[in-house]
Amino acid sequence: MTSSLTVPPKPRSRVRTALIVAAFAAFTAATCIPAIGGIELDLGAIVRNWSNGSGLLAQFLQPDFAFLPRTIGPMLETLQMAVVGAALAAVVSVPLTLWAAAPTNPNAPTRVLVRTVINVVRSVPDLVYATVLVAMVGVGALPGLITLFLFDLGIIVKLVSEAIDATDLPIIEAGRAAGGTQTQINRRGVLPQTWPLFANQWLYTLELNVRISAILGIVGAGGIGRLLDERRAFYAYDDVAVIVLEILVVVVLIEIFSNLLRRRLV
Amino acid sequence: MRIDPLHAEVGPSPASASWSIRLDDVSVTYPNGTRALSGVSLDIAAGEMVSIVGLSGSGKSTLIRTINGLVPASSGTVTVGPHTVTGMRGRALRELRGRIGMIFQGFNLADRADVYRNVLVGSFARTPTWRTLLGVTTAQDRELALRSLDAVGMLEKVWNRAGHLSGGQKQRVAIARALTQQPSVMLADEPVASLDPPTAHAVMHDLRRVNRDEQLTVLVNIHLMDLARQYTTRMIGLRAGEVVYDGPAAAAADHDFEQIYGRPIQPRDVLGA
Amino acid sequence: MSAVTAVPTALQVPRRPSRVVPTAVAVIVGAVVLAAAAGLPIPWSDLGSLPGQVAHYLGLMFAAPNWAMLPQALFETWRSISMAWIGAIGCVIVSIPLGMLAARSIGPIWLRLPLRGLFAVSRAVPEVIIALLLLTVTGLTPFTGALALAIAGIGTQAKWVYETVESVQEGASEAVRAAGGNTAEVTRWALWPAVAPTLLSFALYRFEINIRTSAVLGLVGAGGIGSMLANYTNFRQWDTVGMLLIVVVAATMLMDAVSGAIRRRIMRGPRAKAARAQREVRTDVARVS
Repeated sequence: MTSSLTVPPKPRSRVRTALIVAAFAAFTAATCIPAIGGIELDLGAIVRNWSNGSGLLAQFLQPDFAFLPRTIGPMLETLQMAVVGAALAAVVSVPLTLWAAAPTNPNAPTRVLVRTVINVVRSVPDLVYATVLVAMVGVGALPGLITLFLFDLGIIVKLVSEAIDATDLPIIEAGRAAGGTQTQINRRGVLPQTWPLFANQWLYTLELNVRISAILGIVGAGGIGRLLDERRAFYAYDDVAVIVLEILVVVVLIEIFSNLLRRRLV
Repeated sequence: MRIDPLHAEVGPSPASASWSIRLDDVSVTYPNGTRALSGVSLDIAAGEMVSIVGLSGSGKSTLIRTINGLVPASSGTVTVGPHTVTGMRGRALRELRGRIGMIFQGFNLADRADVYRNVLVGSFARTPTWRTLLGVTTAQDRELALRSLDAVGMLEKVWNRAGHLSGGQKQRVAIARALTQQPSVMLADEPVASLDPPTAHAVMHDLRRVNRDEQLTVLVNIHLMDLARQYTTRMIGLRAGEVVYDGPAAAAADHDFEQIYGRPIQPRDVLGA
Repeated sequence: MSAVTAVPTALQVPRRPSRVVPTAVAVIVGAVVLAAAAGLPIPWSDLGSLPGQVAHYLGLMFAAPNWAMLPQALFETWRSISMAWIGAIGCVIVSIPLGMLAARSIGPIWLRLPLRGLFAVSRAVPEVIIALLLLTVTGLTPFTGALALAIAGIGTQAKWVYETVESVQEGASEAVRAAGGNTAEVTRWALWPAVAPTLLSFALYRFEINIRTSAVLGLVGAGGIGSMLANYTNFRQWDTVGMLLIVVVAATMLMDAVSGAIRRRIMRGPRAKAARAQREVRTDVARVS
């Protein structure tokens, strides 16, 4: 009495799944071949040298707070770099962002040009900028400042211009109908509507700057990173731990501060 | 030709500055191939208040935008007053647009800016860009903006954020913005579609008052039969991009509308009280 | 009819709201920035010569980049990419289970809070520090770099995991539970299909981030293009540095584009659409009820 059911075939792109898995496996394999530049997975080294690391890790987990006073000066320099870098980037980011977004710049060639330049600027990691700039202009806060400026600019322009592209801005049609120039429309129509987008990203870059400028010092670009690298070179990981904690605290404080500001902005 | 705002009782434009509108065999085809207007020819005299009636998709929005060049005509000529719009570009087009006021269904205000700044948008065409950038307005423009707001009864809200206003108030601010241009033509693209009946009537009343007091040429896109009949003197019916009716608005009968819409009348075609 | 009267009628203009507070804030912010700038040990007056200096170096770097070293540069680039890839895999393998355990509907609270704390700590410590710490264990090798990337990324990655899990509709989970399934079965049959596309997308994004960070780790000695860059910059071989910068930019932009395209395809796929639809239904229901 059991009738055999006609089950429709299960839609399964078996071939496609197999291809994807194969590609993934091949790529992974290729990354593990040292001969062409892959890395050598030396898990054994972890086992062998664990004691080296564990000693330092233990040191790291016992921060030496007596070291704190020596960090104040460099930390201040880090904060100064962060603030000035974010401020300069904020100012320059406004015209660049308006050039990079479609509603505010109907001229496609200039828009594509600005976007491409920004993408190139964003493709260089922050520490690379710092290294090259230190070699160019010397050690100190200046290469760090320029690095932060470029890094922030890339982020702000990309994120805000994409947000503007996605926003409805009916004031633009009204401004055009009234006979305004694009600049007038941008200044009095678009900017009032998009200040929160900008302010959001400016605060975000301020937070980022504090984190990054701490590291930039490792290559000589000023701030607390130099102290950090110096202490590390002496294997004084308890001092390193204090510095890391300090950075953490400052970053959290700035996050709280900027969250407060953000709520009042809208 | 402008009047001294300090010596005017109600807003701008004396009668002689009002313009006629003329479309000569105008067709518009969008880049994606849609043919929005086919061979439309119209003659609107200065000082007329005309409604353009039709369903959405009939070409009303396109037609009204060919008049100030927001949509370029693919063929044919559009003439406003002494100026030929088709083919105009750059500074000349902006100056022309400065003389054509336009209000929109969605009000098109800058919600986060105050009403004052929104109304000042009307002075863009005659203001050098550096002034707008720095926010330095001439005393004349300031006075004109305030007078325009007063003319539509919104002066007490001048420093409020535009986004905090009701729909009817926003449209009034938009009208004030258009009046600040001291226009020779007023275009209105579905100005009351987003408003409730009493507010819609009030706004249409304002438009008619502007038309009568200033003898300003007014062109209104509208899909509501009773408003078209009540507030405008001449009605043009558009269907599928072609003119299918052109005559006195009051004389338009229900079956005329059915012909324009291409379907029987429905309750949503009438606003009511 | 406009009656032009001889006497202007006075307008009743309401008072403009006070702008003291915004102005004060602007002044304070400006003062802080200027004070910060003044405190920096930067010779502001000398900055005029900076553009000239920079232009000079840009010329040295890009006027005639040293393409002869390209093969080595590509070798090192693949090394960095490998670091990024293995690091991403390691990070994802660890962060998915940990992140799921930290999600509200899965892990008990005595497990969730410590886990989330761990993630926050991991987020706070920069990768470079982790790399430096690992140096003593695994040496100055790309493997160290990969490990550092994996460990440093766990914090953010796990956070994305539990955020995604928590935003997915609970209906399917309820259905499995009602049929008698335990947490593991709920995860396998209800949760996983919904979150898989988003998690995959995040995994690829981790790879993109790692590519940039791998260059940074190279600068501190982990190998890859960053190391090559650091060396040649130290030797002031500007024509090679220029070539390396071009390679870095090109590789990053290429990887971003490819990865971005793949991510878009994942998020557009049928499962992703279903997951999105589930989320939308949930928000609709929440709005109505």
